[in-house]
Amino acid sequence: MTAVLLSLTLALSLATGQYAPQQAASDPLAPAREARVQQLAKKLRCAVCQGLSVADSPSSMARAQLDKVRELVSDGKTDEEIVDYFVARYGEWVLLEPRAEGFNWFVWLGPVVLVLGGLFVIARQRKPVPEGAAAAEAVTAPSPSSPAVPSTDDADPYLQAVRRELER
Amino acid sequence: MKRWRLPLVFAAVAVALLFVLFKGFGRDPHEVPFMLKGSPAPAFVLKPLDGGENVKLADLKGHPVVLNFWASWCGPCKYEHPVLEWGAREMGSQAVFMGVVFEDTEENARDFLRRMGASFPQLMDERSRMAVDYGVAGVPETYFIDAEGIIRGKHVGPIDPQTLALRVRELSQPAAAPTAEAARQR
Repeated sequence: MTAVLLSLTLALSLATGQYAPQQAASDPLAPAREARVQQLAKKLRCAVCQGLSVADSPSSMARAQLDKVRELVSDGKTDEEIVDYFVARYGEWVLLEPRAEGFNWFVWLGPVVLVLGGLFVIARQRKPVPEGAAAAEAVTAPSPSSPAVPSTDDADPYLQAVRRELER
Repeated sequence: MKRWRLPLVFAAVAVALLFVLFKGFGRDPHEVPFMLKGSPAPAFVLKPLDGGENVKLADLKGHPVVLNFWASWCGPCKYEHPVLEWGAREMGSQAVFMGVVFEDTEENARDFLRRMGASFPQLMDERSRMAVDYGVAGVPETYFIDAEGIIRGKHVGPIDPQTLALRVRELSQPAAAPTAEAARQR
């Protein structure tokens, strides 16, 4: 029922023009420069989307932002100038990759530090197996039913204690 | 002392994580930062919706300007429009009210204005060039530009009459002396 109502509402709103009409974007530049445009657009966040880049978003606002990148590229602006243009308007929020400076180093290095810390903890928790024990294990492992096993059982003070408890 | 070292390191990492999460959750994810506050408004030349001469920002110098970005497909713009109509009528002498049609066709915009009233001039923003220049992050948004052409701030979302009146009054005051509203906006 809800699904029907929702789709009806959607159909009605589409029919009555409750959407942003698509507008033609500007023409792509020469391949080499267009590649630069797309590369820059991948790094910029679309202003009206949820975490989509300007290059990936189909929204008309993203098209407009892409047009702006294209315009700035064809004006001969450097990558840095173009990024600065957007940062001047939307702040560092517009960068999908935070700049590696100041507090942002925390974001860049934090995961590496955490992984290294985890490895350190694992390394400390892993007790090195004593040489003698490892050799004994290697000898007894291939023949678990051999008479050597009961003899080690007799030697174990814990097992002896258990047996004593059971026999009582 | 040695057995406390590891827990202490973990506590430090946990506190750092909490700090980052607090910073992240402390802000509204839908809020887009606005950096043009206090800087000169970018120039624009736009075609009015009802024909006639192109409108330039330079022509408006010397008058405070209230710029409203809207679209006919935007629901909140419908609730907001009467407030702007009222503002243009009541405070038209203190500030120039202008609408900028965002991501919409001329036909849809005209239809909207025919139904809702058109008491201030409307401009067509071809391909949203001006919207990108002004750092628009959705509609409706209302920009307040003083007589010197400095952006004093913007209001995101539908504006209410009290805020509109307050912001227009602020436009005619000198730029210094940040008010409580301005401080909150920062």
